[in-house]
Amino acid sequence: MSARPRTRTVLIPALALLAVAAGCGSDGDSTGDGGDQIELTYWTHTHPPMTELNKQLIAEYEEANPNVTITYETIPNNDFGTKMLTSLSNGSGPDIINMDDSALRGEYIPKQLLAPIEPSAFGAESVEELEALYVDGTLDGAKGDDGTLYGVPSEFNATAFAINTQHFAEAGLDPANPPATWDDVSEYGQQLVAAGHEGFNFVYLHAGWYTQQLQTLLNETGGSILNDDGTASALTEPKSVEALQIWHDLIREDEVGNADTASREATSPFEDFASGRRSMTMIYPWAVEQIAQDNPETFENLAVVPLPQVDPANPSGRWYGYYFAVNKASEQQEEAWKFIEYMTSQHDRWLTDVNFVQPLKDWEQSEAAANIPFLEVWSQAYQQGKFDEVGPHWSEVQDAIKAAVERSIFDGQPPAESLEEASESVDQSVTS
Amino acid sequence: MALTRTAPARARSGRARAPRPGRSGWRRRRNAVGLAFALPALVLFAAFAIYPMLRVFQLSLYDYNLTSPPVWVGLDNFRLLFGDERFLASLGASLFYVVVTYGPAVLLALVLALGLNTRMRGSAFVRLLYFAPVATSWVAVSVIWRLVLQPEGLLNQTLNTDIPWLTSSTWAKWAIAIAAIWKEVGFFLIIFLAGLQNIPKDLQEAAALDGAGSLRRLRYVTLPLLKPITVVVLVMAIIRGFQSFSPQVVLTGGSFGTEVINLFVYKTAFASARMGRASAVAVVMFILLLMVTFVQLRALRKSA
Repeated sequence: MSARPRTRTVLIPALALLAVAAGCGSDGDSTGDGGDQIELTYWTHTHPPMTELNKQLIAEYEEANPNVTITYETIPNNDFGTKMLTSLSNGSGPDIINMDDSALRGEYIPKQLLAPIEPSAFGAESVEELEALYVDGTLDGAKGDDGTLYGVPSEFNATAFAINTQHFAEAGLDPANPPATWDDVSEYGQQLVAAGHEGFNFVYLHAGWYTQQLQTLLNETGGSILNDDGTASALTEPKSVEALQIWHDLIREDEVGNADTASREATSPFEDFASGRRSMTMIYPWAVEQIAQDNPETFENLAVVPLPQVDPANPSGRWYGYYFAVNKASEQQEEAWKFIEYMTSQHDRWLTDVNFVQPLKDWEQSEAAANIPFLEVWSQAYQQGKFDEVGPHWSEVQDAIKAAVERSIFDGQPPAESLEEASESVDQSVTS
Repeated sequence: MALTRTAPARARSGRARAPRPGRSGWRRRRNAVGLAFALPALVLFAAFAIYPMLRVFQLSLYDYNLTSPPVWVGLDNFRLLFGDERFLASLGASLFYVVVTYGPAVLLALVLALGLNTRMRGSAFVRLLYFAPVATSWVAVSVIWRLVLQPEGLLNQTLNTDIPWLTSSTWAKWAIAIAAIWKEVGFFLIIFLAGLQNIPKDLQEAAALDGAGSLRRLRYVTLPLLKPITVVVLVMAIIRGFQSFSPQVVLTGGSFGTEVINLFVYKTAFASARMGRASAVAVVMFILLLMVTFVQLRALRKSA
């Protein structure tokens, strides 16, 4: 072979390979050639009012810090956990995350995916000094077993109950006398159904939602998902079965709602209540603002009342929070914490604009809090909450709970039998 | 085979020629150029198909959660799988989906292909209509069917029923099968049509002259000659069935007994970060499908 054809033989494919490689690598340098130019990425779930405020705050921060560019992405709620966990695990995740406490405590912190908090970014000399700014216990959702803190709350939620006062009036019920127990919910619900409404229902979205609602009932009945040392299922314990029985009886026996026709739009979880189809629902502070924005008419007839109880003499509730945290693999951790400090410094706007409570001490006394609707109810709800349980391979446990609820609520399987099946799956997940 | 036949013949004829040096050199050059052009594609194929596949085999022997270094566990992942109710249920869900969807879809495709294998006016347009769902993405099709299968959707209205198609363990798997049959028939229809058009017309005419009616011609001429295509269709049907993922994700999220094997693999790998166990499922399915395909091809060879 002469030298020329041989050169061609080698050169042409080599150039082709080079072109492909160049195409693959054309993403560019994240910091560019600008020297001090800093690029941060920030991911959240999808909640339209929150997204809007995030965009405003990012624009303000970028204006005040011209060398910083923040790429903000919202991930569809059903995919949020999976996408975030996978990307953080392979080192390609965002610099800044906003994630719920179950995921943080169940997956991200044990897997060492997050950077410990940097108190100096918040003007504090120590973590203790930073913690002292917040209501006791509210930062526990972002702590590891060893007490290391990994984030600060973007929102901190307690659980209350919403009623549509107009529906109540139509059914001959007194909105000033809301249901205090689940038996009341059943009784009122049936009257509301007779008046042409869906009386009450739970929300049927992804496994996380199923689990958190069952957890709310478990907190009231004294049941739990796992045993005390977290090594086995406790779902077959009578108090645990009682929780699912409440759910089952309301929907299957008393027929205060129809699970088959419930909305499954994860971006707007309270769509059925907001649209005026449903009369009663469990609710969180952030949902009130979404209803106000999307359905002003329903908002006019909305009353937030205390969560119905199994034992009103010993009320119980459920807390959960979303926390700003920083990816351990981020090369811009210092800048990421500075941005988070700015986000949390705007706590009054989070409260006023989107009803997100950032639980700084005496938040209820602030001017912003004075203007949020039903402050007294929320304030009371924050007194009686606790964080959800978590354990090893928690997403599998949540899937098992979702399947158990579906068997019981949609297929009519008795709760004890359904939880027996779930219990086997949970045991397998937490022990293997 | 061809070379061994021609070489002695040439020797006998006494006209065997020594290969021209320039000719073999030209061939080598041509092959080298061809190889060089194929190389980029081969490299990419090896990097993005072969290597990941080999890694899956390797990972199936490890416990790996993406963040900690993999830990060798030997065959433990496989042992655990066969005691895992969820895995066995998803295997059952996949099997149900394959049988209930692809059995009727293949049969319907064959019947429609026989009907459309004519020069009837407008038959091309009808074929196009049947093929339209195939060209549409599974996600788009699933979104449409989600609306059709709602409690107050088109299907219940048409049948005058009140069936919770997507929220019942009794009905959800059938609902997905109905949507899948609608989507997949066109794919097999086109393959059967291609097979039918390759059957020589003179065979049909000869059978007709011998007095065979249309049913006898179908039984003794058309179907036997379609057998190779039918086997290909069945192999493809089984593989496509076991690869199903999108309709289950969009229509039910895997609830109500519709968590098929691919969805189980996805959740195990990415929601639970159990990469080793997910890889073990992929290996099991690979071997299973390989065996099924092998058996089908053997059956074809025997009957041919």
